[in-house]
Amino acid sequence: MARYLLLRLGDAIPTLFLVLTLVFIAMRILPGDPALAALGDGALPEQLADFRERMGLNVPLWQQYFNFLGGVLTLDFGRSLLTNTPVLQLIGQNLPYTIELTLAAMLMGIVAGIPLGVMAATNRNKAPDGGMRIFSLIGYAIPDFFLGAILLITFALNLGWFPINGAGSDFVSRLHHLFLPALTLAFVKAAFLGRLTRTSLLEVLGKDYVRTARAKGAKENRVIYKHGLRNAMLPISTGLGLSLLSTLSGSVAVELVFNRPGIGRLLIDAIAQRDYAVIQGGVLVFAGFVVLINLLMDLVYVVVDPRVRVK
Amino acid sequence: MALNRRSFMELAAATTALTAIGVGTARAQDADTLRMGIAANNPRHSDPNLTTQGSDNWATEQIYEQLVRPDDGRFALTPDEYLPTLATEWTQSEDARTWTFKLREGVQFHRGYGEMTSEDVVFSYERAIKEGTNRTILSNIDSVVANGPYEITLTLKQPDVNLLGTSIFNNNTSIVSKKAYEEIGAEAFATDAVGTGPYELVEFNPESGTRMKRHEDYWGEKAKIANVECVYIADTTARTLALLSGDVDIIEAVRAPGWIDSILQRDPTLQIDMTTPGSFNTLHVNLTRAPFDNLLVRQALMHAIDRPAVAAALAPMGGTMAGLQPDFFPAGFKIEDLPEELQYPYDPEKARELLAEAGYPDGISFDSLCSQREDYASTMLIVQEQLRLAGFNMNLQIIDHTAYHADNRSDKNTLAMHSSSYPPIPTQIYFQQLASASEVKSDGSGGGNYSHYGVAMPGIDELLAQALEATDYEVYLDLCKQIELQVLRDLPLIGLSTLGFTAVRRAQIDLGYPVESGYARWRFHRATKTV
Repeated sequence: MARYLLLRLGDAIPTLFLVLTLVFIAMRILPGDPALAALGDGALPEQLADFRERMGLNVPLWQQYFNFLGGVLTLDFGRSLLTNTPVLQLIGQNLPYTIELTLAAMLMGIVAGIPLGVMAATNRNKAPDGGMRIFSLIGYAIPDFFLGAILLITFALNLGWFPINGAGSDFVSRLHHLFLPALTLAFVKAAFLGRLTRTSLLEVLGKDYVRTARAKGAKENRVIYKHGLRNAMLPISTGLGLSLLSTLSGSVAVELVFNRPGIGRLLIDAIAQRDYAVIQGGVLVFAGFVVLINLLMDLVYVVVDPRVRVK
Repeated sequence: MALNRRSFMELAAATTALTAIGVGTARAQDADTLRMGIAANNPRHSDPNLTTQGSDNWATEQIYEQLVRPDDGRFALTPDEYLPTLATEWTQSEDARTWTFKLREGVQFHRGYGEMTSEDVVFSYERAIKEGTNRTILSNIDSVVANGPYEITLTLKQPDVNLLGTSIFNNNTSIVSKKAYEEIGAEAFATDAVGTGPYELVEFNPESGTRMKRHEDYWGEKAKIANVECVYIADTTARTLALLSGDVDIIEAVRAPGWIDSILQRDPTLQIDMTTPGSFNTLHVNLTRAPFDNLLVRQALMHAIDRPAVAAALAPMGGTMAGLQPDFFPAGFKIEDLPEELQYPYDPEKARELLAEAGYPDGISFDSLCSQREDYASTMLIVQEQLRLAGFNMNLQIIDHTAYHADNRSDKNTLAMHSSSYPPIPTQIYFQQLASASEVKSDGSGGGNYSHYGVAMPGIDELLAQALEATDYEVYLDLCKQIELQVLRDLPLIGLSTLGFTAVRRAQIDLGYPVESGYARWRFHRATKTV
């Protein structure tokens, strides 16, 4: 098990290195001058030159690249070109908000999606199944930012039940601020997980061992949850991993719509302003999460499917 | 305890009901707090010497003061309109090079940092000259010397009859506490500066914004509302909803056609505050690119653009410019006061004739870059359509704002729109956008003269140098007017329209003064709020 984990971690290092290199190159290819973005279009040539020198943007690209890689190895991601704040500090300030949003959305998506999928599968071609399919169709079709705006207008603006923006301060206020953004992301998750659960469960419920369990006189709930759902969990766990990743990326739009702090919003602003250091740090965080989630999914496979352990 | 379906539903319903009861009251309902929705993601600095993000100045405007200021809600159009602020009186020498300011006594810095003296003023000026974001303008200051605790003398390298506008009422020369700077340290001071204004900084939160409270030891009339919060909401929908829901009291508006009408439809009680002129939207004609090196083509261009229509499309924020200055600015002209040949009325037929005379009877086609930002894109799309009717086929490539400015700075554009705010100091726009010293360079090392005026053809350098050395304000103005006429004759730069800075506020907020002109921020110390 430990060896398996180490192997998977070993795979992650070249992936992260590749991501860092690609981001570095992409940022430099992208048109736009960070000095001009930071100082404004009224900045004079000498001010721009001075800024580039202070921020190390006047050295050759290869040198900037090695400076950057050297910094990453020592956990020094540099400083924001716009605010001079250490990038690590900016990430530390914003990451908790993105994590809480992602986790809350996932939790809501799982709590709603899996039972809906079970209900649809156990009522195949009946009204609940039809309802579930319509729900998943809507969930797939509606973009996060649009749903977010609709929820915001309905529940925050018109009904006044939820705050319209921000992330709150104390625990209760944070939960209160979190609900609508998390619901926005959870809606799509629930649609995806519901459909996935339905399909997986239907496939499993047609297997011989399920028929055998029924023939032995096992209660229907036991057949569904112990024999059916448990065996359907392998594709569902794969779907959960993918869903978690899409939730993370979906958080970018939702953070903007709900004006929540977070890594996504930080990145969007940094990209618009060509704040290289922050972009590189932010993307590294996202890439790190992708690697981590994949690793977790591998672990889940081991737990859910004993055959993986044997291999 | 096992949670069955029934108890789950009961719990969910109860939670929803409790939530609904508890949250109806938005924070902006607090009569002692004014919340402003800022059109940016995060605050960057609260030190007036470092701010480069215009929106951050909504906070610095409340926290800091300069030696002189114009009255709230307006520019000082001429030097005699500046009001004593941290200085009570001032004198200038005959040659406009030596300026002496008598400081107000008893002015207290925030958070108990003591009384402002000449030592703080000298420190603030020296810091601005050495480290500020506006060093070029301030580089004309040769020395700042204290004459005792309540008087300073500024000596200039060159005369400046507009010193109050160029250097004294300037964000960078806001007066900060020397003692606070030394105690807090340069790095922390960037987000924790100490000033003398009617509000003092309480919290600088890089995720959400800035909080300020009333400065109880303020030298003038104390602020009426106890707290001001600047909440950063970059997304226009979120910002608009925040205002409509009462979560914030004022927001920075979206400067795009139709936006004001649409928000007023939603809530007709909202109040609109707007500066005139706001931004100067100019169009640089690249004189190094044929056929725009031909004056007839540029004249055709001028007749092809219906400038009043461009301004009207941006109503109520848009305004017309006859030349490069609004007509109520000291060097500005009214269209009817210009010589007839320099009025360039909208006339697509005449534009076609001029194009034919220049050798392009079938019109011309060219590529041009444009920023995707609302104010740029909407203006240039209107111009594109107007030009098409006169035989100019402008292929507009709309790109992101940062890339657009970088491309302009690398001389990649043919007709480059530029939007900047200027005070009533005409030489600033001439220097930045027309002087040969500011000529754009393909390697990006040049300035904001995207037309190559003064290099591709003779420009206004000589007149500008004379204006900058004038020791008499009337002579200065006369020279600026000559520059206006010269530019209208040569047409390297077209004044498209002005675009007012606009904020929308809830009717419960009374600013205490009308907003007429000025920079894109205004003070809240006279504001009152009814709940």
